Amino acid sequence: MDLKALKAQESKRKISKGYMWALFCAVFWGIWYLPGTVVWVLNPFDEMYGEIAGASGDAVSLVVTAVLITAFNALTVMLALMLWNGVLGKFGELGRTLKEFHPCSKWFFLASIFGGPVAILGSFMAMGFIGGAFAAVAALLYPVIGSVLAYYWYGEKISKRAATGIIIIILGGITIFGGGVITELAAGGVPWIGYLGGLMAAAGWGIEGAIAGKGLDISEPDVGLTLRFLGENIIWWIIIVPILAIVGYPMYSFAFQAFEPLTLLVLIFAGITFGFCYVCWYKSFPLIGVGRGQGIGNLYGLCAIIFIFLFFGDVPAWTILVGGTLCVIGSFVMFTEETAALETLRGE
Amino acid sequence: MVQTAAAMEAYNAYWANSFIPGAEIMWMVLILILAVIALWQARTFVSQF
Repeated sequence: MDLKALKAQESKRKISKGYMWALFCAVFWGIWYLPGTVVWVLNPFDEMYGEIAGASGDAVSLVVTAVLITAFNALTVMLALMLWNGVLGKFGELGRTLKEFHPCSKWFFLASIFGGPVAILGSFMAMGFIGGAFAAVAALLYPVIGSVLAYYWYGEKISKRAATGIIIIILGGITIFGGGVITELAAGGVPWIGYLGGLMAAAGWGIEGAIAGKGLDISEPDVGLTLRFLGENIIWWIIIVPILAIVGYPMYSFAFQAFEPLTLLVLIFAGITFGFCYVCWYKSFPLIGVGRGQGIGNLYGLCAIIFIFLFFGDVPAWTILVGGTLCVIGSFVMFTEETAALETLRGE
Repeated sequence: MVQTAAAMEAYNAYWANSFIPGAEIMWMVLILILAVIALWQARTFVSQF
């Protein structure tokens, strides 16, 4: 076999692995909705929500409880990533990357700002003020922002075929959640703070992907993502949770009560799914590019519907079947792209 | 804090209509299986690239 053929074979293997990681991301993200949903009814979060809602109203209560749940989620994600890095023997690399703040760590800390308090909090705001379906649709738009930023910032190539695939998957996602969005929007006035949250989710995850793509030029995805979550833990536990406690919300009293077997178990499984989903997302970026990684990752909408149907018994509507078909078509449009077109992910 | 009866009732209600037998345990088993497959693939990936 000549050198050219070997190079082509290597490139094909790399791309298929990239799609595999993006698919793993979608599956873990979809299954995360199981622990992510049930944790809200468990104590102490259930009682915390009730207590704060009594004093400050439902909307404020939802955001403050979401902050504590997200902070615990970030903590258990960190544990899951320690296991991941331990199994892969990457603790040494972790220390080395952490020390190199200027060339690489700074990108991951910056990514944690856009991914944590901007995207995740924005998503919870959209959920609380408008509804879950709207939040999911708003978040589905993040590959558009991610791929456009990656294109203008560091010239990542987006072929017509990849753009078509991303658009079909986004249309599929909108169809999946479309019925719910119409009901939610028809139900109330104009909850502008919810729309702001939706915009924060789409922009936050899109910008995070583009920043991560830059940081991953010079570091490992597994350790890069761990540093990104180290940054998110610092933001929640050292900045936001103490500020909310100073303002007068009972953050610490409820945080200590979270150490209850069932709550901890659900949080740990949320951490495994969210952590592994994120690490697979980051692993796909250097192999297939930010735009494609995020586009395939968007199949989480379809995966979430499947897992919710199987485990919660919620029967999907016809819109979900149409949307799901669109998602699968969009994925195939991207999978079947000539590998030669993907040999270089960046422009000259 | 121990779980209240209301919290446990709400938690169990989620799994009550599941199509999968023993759903309240099986969702965790499925996550563990997927996690082991992902870790195994990550190990393979590290050795290949």
